[in-house]
Amino acid sequence: MNVIRYGEKFFDELEVQTLHRKEISAKAELNQISSSTSSNLGMSVIRGVKNGKIGISIIDSTEEEKIKRGIERAAKLAMVNKKDEKWPGLPEPGNYHKKDERTGEMGEEDYFVNLITLALKDISERKKDAMVVGAEAGSIYVKTQIVNSNGIDVSQEDSVSMFVLVLMARHGESVTPSIFDLDVTKNPKIDTTKVIDSCLTKLEHAKKVKKADLKEAPVIMEPFALGEILQYALLPAFNGERKVKGTSILGDKLGEKVMDEKIKMIDDPFHEKSVAKLIADDEGVPTRKNTIIEKGVFKGFLWNHYWGKIAGEESTGNGMRSFRTGAMGIGAINLVIEEGKRKVEDIIGDVKNGYIVSSFQGAHSSNPDTGTVAAVANPAFVIEDGKITGSTVFMLSGNVYDLMNSVGEISNDAKPVYMISRGMYPHTLFENVKIAPVTR
Amino acid sequence: MKKTVVLMDIHEAVKYGEKLGGDYVEIRYENIQRGHVELKDGVFHTLAERHSEGYGVRVLARGAWGFSTTNLNLRRAVEEAVNLAISSSRAVREKIELYETKPSKDRVKSPMKIRPENIGYEEKTEHVLELEKELKKNPLVKSTQIKYEDAHGTKLLVTNEGTEIEWDYNHILQYVWVTGKEGDVMGAARHMIGGVDKGWELFEEFTNEIISKRLHKQLDNQIHGVPVKRGEFPIVAGPIIVGIIAHEALGHLAEADLTINSPFRDMIGKQIAPEFVNMSDRIVPGGFGNNLYDDEGTPVKDVHIIEKGVLKEIMLNREYAKKWNMEPNGHAHAEDYSNPPIIRMRNTVFEKGDHTLEEMIEDIKFGYYMVDFRGGQAELNSSFQVGVQEGYVIENGEIKEPIKDTSISGIAIEALKNIEAVGRDFDIEYGICGKGQSAFVSSGGPHMKFPRSIVVGGEK
Repeated sequence: MNVIRYGEKFFDELEVQTLHRKEISAKAELNQISSSTSSNLGMSVIRGVKNGKIGISIIDSTEEEKIKRGIERAAKLAMVNKKDEKWPGLPEPGNYHKKDERTGEMGEEDYFVNLITLALKDISERKKDAMVVGAEAGSIYVKTQIVNSNGIDVSQEDSVSMFVLVLMARHGESVTPSIFDLDVTKNPKIDTTKVIDSCLTKLEHAKKVKKADLKEAPVIMEPFALGEILQYALLPAFNGERKVKGTSILGDKLGEKVMDEKIKMIDDPFHEKSVAKLIADDEGVPTRKNTIIEKGVFKGFLWNHYWGKIAGEESTGNGMRSFRTGAMGIGAINLVIEEGKRKVEDIIGDVKNGYIVSSFQGAHSSNPDTGTVAAVANPAFVIEDGKITGSTVFMLSGNVYDLMNSVGEISNDAKPVYMISRGMYPHTLFENVKIAPVTR
Repeated sequence: MKKTVVLMDIHEAVKYGEKLGGDYVEIRYENIQRGHVELKDGVFHTLAERHSEGYGVRVLARGAWGFSTTNLNLRRAVEEAVNLAISSSRAVREKIELYETKPSKDRVKSPMKIRPENIGYEEKTEHVLELEKELKKNPLVKSTQIKYEDAHGTKLLVTNEGTEIEWDYNHILQYVWVTGKEGDVMGAARHMIGGVDKGWELFEEFTNEIISKRLHKQLDNQIHGVPVKRGEFPIVAGPIIVGIIAHEALGHLAEADLTINSPFRDMIGKQIAPEFVNMSDRIVPGGFGNNLYDDEGTPVKDVHIIEKGVLKEIMLNREYAKKWNMEPNGHAHAEDYSNPPIIRMRNTVFEKGDHTLEEMIEDIKFGYYMVDFRGGQAELNSSFQVGVQEGYVIENGEIKEPIKDTSISGIAIEALKNIEAVGRDFDIEYGICGKGQSAFVSSGGPHMKFPRSIVVGGEK
């Protein structure tokens, strides 16, 4: 690639990642279509190294001439940086998994306007008091290419379509919490019915507010709620950089049982239910299936190229770049929790007194170093004698490792969760969870 | 691209949008250079510059919005925005209208004394290295991450109504995360400062020694602190926690697009708190949310959300001002050119009262004094959550031992009624609010006492 040859004048090693992102969507608020949006953006990140000194430049363009100017800026920054004595070099080419051949279609604006209009009509006919706080339907297409001076040259395309619905209703002087669900698909032919069904059912339960009387209770987390807790309280502990620095709570726990034996957790970029399958991470290293937890036993950390080499390991294909700052971090590509055997309805049916949580407030204020969680379950629903009978708000507090050691059952209906990070999460029942009521 | 050429292009594009059928055509352009310095345990893994240049085109046509963003082709983006608006308008029952405002023409200069762009990267890297050195003087500190960021450049807003504003855009931000460990016990604490009015001079106020001292204390507290009891307890909240309660519990509900679906909708003009409670979203000296105009060109006004306990005003953009039949007050904000403006807070604060901290704690047999936060979140049903990274036990009227990190929560419309005392002090904190888009904000206030209605999360 011309830009690499150009950059060799300035750097010992050079990496350029280009990104082209297109989006189209229609949005609704207050029970009607409000807007349609589109974006068409190009971006490039240049990371160059001279004598162990790094310089990074990020530009809102993929044009060759602008990338060359970016290389010059990165070279100036590298000159003022301090030498990284441990710099292990950029990655070498590897063998990539077969590319996802499913075509990435994008819908047209009229298509999504119609889709939302029909969804709004359906909602208003079925529940007169339901208010659509927000709805969005659209497609996102991303094409990336990563090239480096060691010969890596890999490109991949990824497209998904999505329907997101947020509802609320008034009851007396109060309002329900926002009731949220979404569906993510490979192509724009989204079936909105199951999202609408799910939201309307929850909305009815949400109007019957009850106090959470129990101090300890079985709690089922829905896929999104589980994703929130794991993202902020657990996943940081799998980060190889933290292992090297002695700040992962799992640092010396390799091969030890750290969770309930029902838990199997894999970072699987090629999972059969995944709508987007990535063959390379943000450094161009081939992605792979990495088992993190098996039968509750901790099997391994996730690494990018830098921290893998420092630790004497290899990159696990988990280099993840911030396009805002250019920083190269470590992250799961598609974290999958292995499904159990029964449907969530059957699991709920066996709970005498407990709760099911759709979402948490404040999962992001969990402590990523210690795994301490104190988040507010809202919306949460009360289960009595195997049936959902109302809604409540409560504080769930404790430690994520205690939670993961108290797993009672995992459902067989893992769902893609895209809003926080990519993953496939089932409903999960936790026993004896410590709670404090917020609803009075 | 040269500014004069850009302006000509934008004016031409605005006219083109009108010709295609746009009733309101708004183009925002940004050409901004950001610097990022990230030091992690002695290594600058990130020393980066980001150059952002692009357009956000928003069109209101036939009562619906179309928004298109590009850094490739402005004319094409205008066509798309008009087409998108027209496409949406076919399904609109109640047409979106804008509150009529006088067009603004202005050039907004940055009041920063020392612009970060005039500080070399050598000095910036030296500054964060010194901070790391100061942090690591405490043997509890095992790992540090320091992120420094600044930005400078031009923002332009041009509309077909005649608004033309040029901002001399600048900001500065520093975020620190420290991880501490003693034996098997770990702790972590964060600190953030930022400015849009204050530049490099911010570090004269927040010296490395001051920041390190605060973080050392918080780490020590977390590692040696006592576990928290869970349940409802009397709480005295310090200015930082009070600010986050103002932001999360009340501020979000007073953003007109959320008010409309919240309990606040039917409470405007009603007594919702004791009459000694006052709360505003306003310009604050050094506030991270300060600006003269919002991203629709409306002059920014102070919003007196609660006055003498009465819910009085809410934050508005032009669309919701029309819906509510209230005058817009300059709260439309877009994270950057690639996002359309939405209603956001700026600096949300409780105003001063007349109590001292000692008066607030003297009759508490057992409760908690909450001092500093880590994250928070609001919900439509007025439930709020605030993560706490520094707090203390109150026992028999005295502040006692520190606690481990926790969260507090409550139902805002209930907690408000139960405010018992408001302090005579005042302080603010800096933050980044997420509501689909990021926005720089401040929040603050005096000490406040909540004898009931606040739930504390704890393992005991």
